[in-house]
Amino acid sequence: MSFYSPVRTNAAEVAKSDRLHLFKYVEDPQQANIDTFVAHGGYVAWRKALTSMKPDEVREEVKNAGLRGRGGAGFPTGIKWGFIPQASTKPRYLVCNADESEPGTCKDRVIMERDPHAMLEGMAVASFAIGCHLMFVYIRGEFGHCIDVVNRAVEEGYAQGYFGKNIFDTGYDLDVIVHSGGGAYICGEETALLNSLEGHKGMSRIRPPFPAVEGLYACPTIVNNVESLASVPHIINRGSDWYKSLGTEKSCGSKIFSLSGHVKQPGNYEVELGYNLKDFIYSPEYGGGILGDKKLKGVIPGGSSTPFLKPEDIDVGLDYESLTTVGSMLGSGAVIVFHEDTCIVWTIMKLIHFYRHESCGKCTPCREGTGWLERMITAIEHGRGRPGDVEKIESVCENIMGRTICPLGDAAVMPIQSAIKNWRDEWQYHIDHGKCQVKTNTEFV
Amino acid sequence: MADAVENKKNIAEGVPTVTLTIDGRETTVPKGTTVLMAARGLGIHIPTFCWHPKLKPMGSCRMCYVEIEKMPKLQVSCALEAMDGMVVLTDSDLVKRGRRAIIEFILMNHPLDCPTCDKGGECDLQDQTFAHGVDDSRFDFQKYRFTEGTEGSTFDDLRIGPEIVLNRNRCILCYKCVRANKEAFGEYDLGAYERGNIMEIHRAPGRQVDNPFSGNLVEICPVGALTNTDWRYKIRVWLTQTTSSICPFSSSGVNTLLYKDDHQQKIFRTTSRPNDDIDDGWLADVTRYGYQIATSPDRLQTPLIKKDGQQVPATWKEALEIINKRLNEIKDKKGRVCIGGIVSPSLDNATLHSFSKLIRVTLGSNNIDYRTQYRMLPKEPENVYDAMSARSFKISDIDDSDVIVAFGSDLVKEHPNEYLRIRKACNFHSASVYSVNPYRVKSADVARREMIYKVGTEEVFLNGLCLAAIEAGMAEGGDLKEKISPSTAAEAAAICGVDAEHLKELAAAMANGRKVTFIAGELVSRSRERLCISSALANLTRLLGLENKGQVSILPHYANSFGAGKLGLLPQPPEGIRNALTELWGAWPEAEPLTTDGMLINMKKEEVNGCIALGCNPVMLYPDREFARESLEKLDFLLVADLYETETTGLADVVLPLASWAEYDGRYINLEGRVQRANRALKPRFESKPGYEIVEAIAEQIGDKLYESSDQCEQEISRLVESSNVQPLPDKYFDVRPAEEESDEEYPIALFVGDDPHHSGHLTEKANSLFNFCGEAYIEMSSELAKKLDLKEGDSARVESKVGKIIVPVRISTTINNDVVFIPRNFSSTTVTALLMRKKRTDRVKISKVVN
Ligand SMILES: Cc1cc2nc3c(=O)[nH]c(=O)nc-3n(C[C@H](O)[C@H](O)[C@H](O)COP(=O)(O)O)c2cc1C
Ligand code: SF4
Ligand code: SF4
Ligand code: FES
Repeated sequence: MSFYSPVRTNAAEVAKSDRLHLFKYVEDPQQANIDTFVAHGGYVAWRKALTSMKPDEVREEVKNAGLRGRGGAGFPTGIKWGFIPQASTKPRYLVCNADESEPGTCKDRVIMERDPHAMLEGMAVASFAIGCHLMFVYIRGEFGHCIDVVNRAVEEGYAQGYFGKNIFDTGYDLDVIVHSGGGAYICGEETALLNSLEGHKGMSRIRPPFPAVEGLYACPTIVNNVESLASVPHIINRGSDWYKSLGTEKSCGSKIFSLSGHVKQPGNYEVELGYNLKDFIYSPEYGGGILGDKKLKGVIPGGSSTPFLKPEDIDVGLDYESLTTVGSMLGSGAVIVFHEDTCIVWTIMKLIHFYRHESCGKCTPCREGTGWLERMITAIEHGRGRPGDVEKIESVCENIMGRTICPLGDAAVMPIQSAIKNWRDEWQYHIDHGKCQVKTNTEFV
Repeated sequence: MADAVENKKNIAEGVPTVTLTIDGRETTVPKGTTVLMAARGLGIHIPTFCWHPKLKPMGSCRMCYVEIEKMPKLQVSCALEAMDGMVVLTDSDLVKRGRRAIIEFILMNHPLDCPTCDKGGECDLQDQTFAHGVDDSRFDFQKYRFTEGTEGSTFDDLRIGPEIVLNRNRCILCYKCVRANKEAFGEYDLGAYERGNIMEIHRAPGRQVDNPFSGNLVEICPVGALTNTDWRYKIRVWLTQTTSSICPFSSSGVNTLLYKDDHQQKIFRTTSRPNDDIDDGWLADVTRYGYQIATSPDRLQTPLIKKDGQQVPATWKEALEIINKRLNEIKDKKGRVCIGGIVSPSLDNATLHSFSKLIRVTLGSNNIDYRTQYRMLPKEPENVYDAMSARSFKISDIDDSDVIVAFGSDLVKEHPNEYLRIRKACNFHSASVYSVNPYRVKSADVARREMIYKVGTEEVFLNGLCLAAIEAGMAEGGDLKEKISPSTAAEAAAICGVDAEHLKELAAAMANGRKVTFIAGELVSRSRERLCISSALANLTRLLGLENKGQVSILPHYANSFGAGKLGLLPQPPEGIRNALTELWGAWPEAEPLTTDGMLINMKKEEVNGCIALGCNPVMLYPDREFARESLEKLDFLLVADLYETETTGLADVVLPLASWAEYDGRYINLEGRVQRANRALKPRFESKPGYEIVEAIAEQIGDKLYESSDQCEQEISRLVESSNVQPLPDKYFDVRPAEEESDEEYPIALFVGDDPHHSGHLTEKANSLFNFCGEAYIEMSSELAKKLDLKEGDSARVESKVGKIIVPVRISTTINNDVVFIPRNFSSTTVTALLMRKKRTDRVKISKVVN
């Protein structure tokens, strides 16, 4: 089967680079086959880790490399692995979070479709580092094709002895289970994912206990994003010092950014962390500029859950720290671009509809608050806004922000808060005139 | 600071503690305590919706916010562990704003139909809106309304179970109902469906919410989303008064509150009166709805006397005169031995004790027994059995037991309260539970291992455990091996049909356990071989030193079974009790004592001619119906007191209306030996009288006043209760030689008889609600067996034993195994005891389909 999602990548550039690595073979149609993968240096890190390293050495290496979670929260991966209680005699589990559903994000999908063994190898190394003998891939249920590809890759891996019993004659056993996701955005949140994997409804759990202490089946569990895990073999192969030399001081390594919205060349591009956002949008290798050469209105830099940036703020590095200084976040690395014809109220209405629909319904502020926000924002968009509505929306956002069980509540309000802060007059215009100031552009979304 | 010192004193030595400051007051609490509980310890009330003291915190409603110094966000105190040095504010501006926002969110889609809502007046949402909310709403859209499935009912009501009505619009999604159902009861008939703000609580598809604990869901619902039919639209809570009572249907002595009207005419409902030592605030449905036995219109109204073969209403005076006359006639003609007394162990201490005195002192007979449902009671006193069924046992000690064995007991049906405790031990302390039974039971759902032994091999199994422990060197057996058979654990396992490895595993678990609770149930106490089984259990207890590190007991079954034993309502009470009674009364009858069994035999032989049956119904419940009936029919004089007309009152010469437990102050002794009081909530219905008044009236009529005052009776009881301590087990091993039972090809299927999970004994079918859960007998069998017999759910099955036959509808069970069936005994329309034979150890039947 050679079915690719038609996404533009910068594989050619990566192939030439000594620093970029994730996307090196992603345009090779044979890369999903294990023989090609191995011929390209695959499973070397797995062999190296298992035959010549101790688990804590692997953990140390990843910690020193400064790899941070690519699923959204950016938590240092090596440190997370260290949270497994060493004294616990319970089984340990590794779960690869492949539920990619954050609007704008489509990077994990490309890895899984085109280079599935890269993810599996990373999972194997991570399993070894935490002492896990049964690892899971929880793949978004709608990604039928990814599930097929990964399943085939797992079969190949078993057939060639990379998984199963007594791997590389070391006596180490490792099994893989591929699980089709429950079909909800919230199932990407790690604790909801664990519930879903256990066969329960996908609803978040309160923390503590953190999954590393009490996760899947109440056993120590590490949940990592596909991209985080796919980065691990490179660290093992080339050393933490090399990895650390990529990116910025605190945001090490490279990352795949999914560029979408009103740009000429949407696609998935691997760049080093710290790459300039403005260049990313405008340079011919990547975004190639705004669609129709219009003016830029705003950018969401890290997936729909992160605050908007105004054009004057986009001369900033794509890394965890820099984006925080301009009031947004790196998130999952989905850069969404909006040009001047975008109605911000309409955009926010679409977003809040998504979050209301995806709220798991466990905690009061998110469950009720998103519903209320959706109704108020829809009313404004449809010309039924009333004076005071914007302030009411802000107040409701305040009552949700930081008050929920999982970050979905925050994710729902952050774009709204920034959209009001940045374009308050546009909201006011909607309320005062019952219609929009700008031409609504429905090409987006 | 004073608080901290004060609190520290109450914390057991060696427990790690933390000290924190809440609203400026310092407090020290055991490590692991939540901020919420630490605050409550200081008397600081933090409002909650989704928190429940007996469930794991969910942290979802967000009402319990507190502000913690150095933490930027509000925290939920119900799920936050108190840490050393924490500085907590429970009433800061930020906290107040947080709570107000939660109330606002919750009220957004809440219908605010308080005037028609039965929760009004005791609703958490009402109370907290008054306390923490604002009186205006900023939400100016139409509220979301669930109407689907309500068939246009004005109130969007949805009946989701025999006794439960759901109104989804009132629901605030605290999930307490679903969590309790799953976590505390292990039931899955209720769930939360959909997601986000259209999430709804609903019964599981195709199911009814009819589990035996379902009433609790209504009680813990903070709003009027779940209501029960007995209470709905009947009365407002502020128009009722409450009376503390206890459950008269099981031996746990679960604490309850009865809600009555001002005139003490009617009880409207029962709720829990949480007692952490006993019930954790959970009630089985039979406890919750059983009060309706008191208020049923079917109650006996006046005494009845037999005239020309017909029972006709009479006055108490007439009835008592006849009783006096007839008892004297028998005594004059044949002497004292010819009278017997049988009594229900659900009656209170005063009734039991005065009855005992009436029989033993006034009538001078030794024939007295409360065990009217046991087969083949031996003539000799049963020292080992008595000892094993009155060990010291504490319900709350189940909580932290690490090994729990439930042996010969269908727990959900027999001891629902203890089943919940066991679940708790599993949920909170990961206890290892072993369920050991002759058939598969629901309560095994929490078991680490369920073992099914062959019907009738209880003592072999217990011997096997002893042998396995000895063989593995886990215990010194002394001469035990010579006293029991078979001689190896492997042989025992083979006879019982269990895996020898599993036997070993259980023996090891008990030998190595830190704290072991071993519960044996009705399958032991009702067995013909209970003496033998008790001996085997005593051996095991001694061998593994179980009582040094835990508790072992054959649990008594009825509300006052334990009391009846302590007060000596046995033909041959244990030595100590007999001595104490002789001392109190200055006399002890000479006559040879007869058990229930012995009395029935002698009635048949016309050697016992008169009988007083107080609150019991042997024709329905004695495990050989025809034998009991024939025997009682032979009597010259039968006096029966009960709440209703029953099969047994039907045979009586005089019937007296007995007051229910709710109609007088009574004391009961639960299975732990704890004396508890049930207070009078109602005036005795019609002309009924409490048991002790009836007994006293009879004695007085005979001319022998039992007591000058009720105090005198109470004093005697106290003396008895205080004097009878737990008997130490003898310092020797017992011989336990199991006898093999012959099987019968013609009747291949083993029959088990017990209580339906919603019933207890012979009275509860009169409770309307309980009748709605289950109103007729059924035969429970596996789908495989049903298939073999060509039966389907609901088909009529003809069930035949050597002595009788009944026809009952089939119910397919997902738990029971293929070679046994179960029939409940609580229904007078189909008395399963017609199939039983008193001499048999195992009841066996054949089953065929009734073709119409
Ligand atoms: C609402 C919500 C959705 C999420 N969805 C995803 C997802 O689709 N994929 C993912 O990797 N992480 C997702 N996360 C983040 C995970 O909870 C978790 O932090 C991550 O899987 C950890 O992996 P990492 O440390 O490798 O990033 C989501 C978080 C939230 C709150
Ligand atoms: S924040 Fe939303 S998604 Fe997360 S637990 Fe609460 S209701 Fe569920
Ligand atoms: S029905 Fe009652 S108990 Fe259940 S979730 Fe709703 S409010 Fe809570
Ligand atoms: S009571 Fe703490 S969150 Fe509900």
